[in-house]
Amino acid sequence: MNLRIIYDTHHHATWNMALDESLLRHLPEIGPTLRLYGWEPPAVSIGYFQGIEEEVNVAKAKQMCVDVVRRITGGGAVYHKYELTYSIVMSPPSGKILDSYKHIQRGLVEGLRLIGINAEMSGINDIVVEGRKISGNAQTRRYGGLLQHGTLLMNVNVDEMFSILKVPQEKMRDKLISNVKERVTSLKHLGYEIEFEELQKYMAEGFKNALSAELYEDALPNEVMDMAKKLEVEKYGNPEWNFKR
Amino acid sequence: MEIPNGISKGESLVKGGKLIRVRVEFQGNRIKEIKITGDFFLHPEDKIEDIENGLKNVPIDGVRKKLDEMLRDTEYLGFTLDTLVQAVEEAWKRRKRI
Repeated sequence: MNLRIIYDTHHHATWNMALDESLLRHLPEIGPTLRLYGWEPPAVSIGYFQGIEEEVNVAKAKQMCVDVVRRITGGGAVYHKYELTYSIVMSPPSGKILDSYKHIQRGLVEGLRLIGINAEMSGINDIVVEGRKISGNAQTRRYGGLLQHGTLLMNVNVDEMFSILKVPQEKMRDKLISNVKERVTSLKHLGYEIEFEELQKYMAEGFKNALSAELYEDALPNEVMDMAKKLEVEKYGNPEWNFKR
Repeated sequence: MEIPNGISKGESLVKGGKLIRVRVEFQGNRIKEIKITGDFFLHPEDKIEDIENGLKNVPIDGVRKKLDEMLRDTEYLGFTLDTLVQAVEEAWKRRKRI
């Protein structure tokens, strides 16, 4: 397949989620598309089904200038700071949804292999290295297309993350945080300090190989950006959406 | 202790791969309001609102049958019918009159 590649930069959470949705909605016009991007300022995204007040200390996030946004995909709360995020829109392959997660996640696994890291898939939506999570992924199927987005941790600061994220049982906080420290890793922790732009190239190559795709760069049609601007204001920047659960 | 038409509230947290939290308000032995939250996956996602609405007025012993019907045309990951039923039943057991 031909896969449009967007080497994007760092953006607000509201824009990142709005553009991902707009890409999905324009799949028939733009064709399969892979976007590689980051987050500035740092942000928390929560899964579609999560209760915002259950997951995020919203007042603390505001105080620390951290964006908070609800995704259209399920899954858990993510603190986005030292990471590269991908999103891909394509036609849903036939078969189980779980299989398509794995199919797409192979892009990251292959990208990591090109760097020299032996990664594997774990559970429904994680990628692990030496048993420790380095990536989480989430997918939705709407408007006749599939959107999957996921993270690749370049670095991680668990204490910083949990200064904003809540834990299911407050009395278990310390234990949970020490568990997470043991269960999570990042490129930096593995000894790889790679620039964002260089990492984008590795991951693009990973998806190219894993999906047997031909990559091409092309400007997005104006209507994609126009819809993203509208979604940013009316949906992802709107408390009605972010606080709906 | 429970009066037949009394309103009570219950909450529970069940781990079944992912985490499911339910908050339920009961009127007597029927569900008045329910909110299902967590880090699970349900396709299509909007179906969650239909499920929450569909459970309204369902008696506690009819929850499994109703959920089974409503989940049939969905694909879900990170929980099972059993864990979701268990979460509602836990909330029922822990309910407190308000």
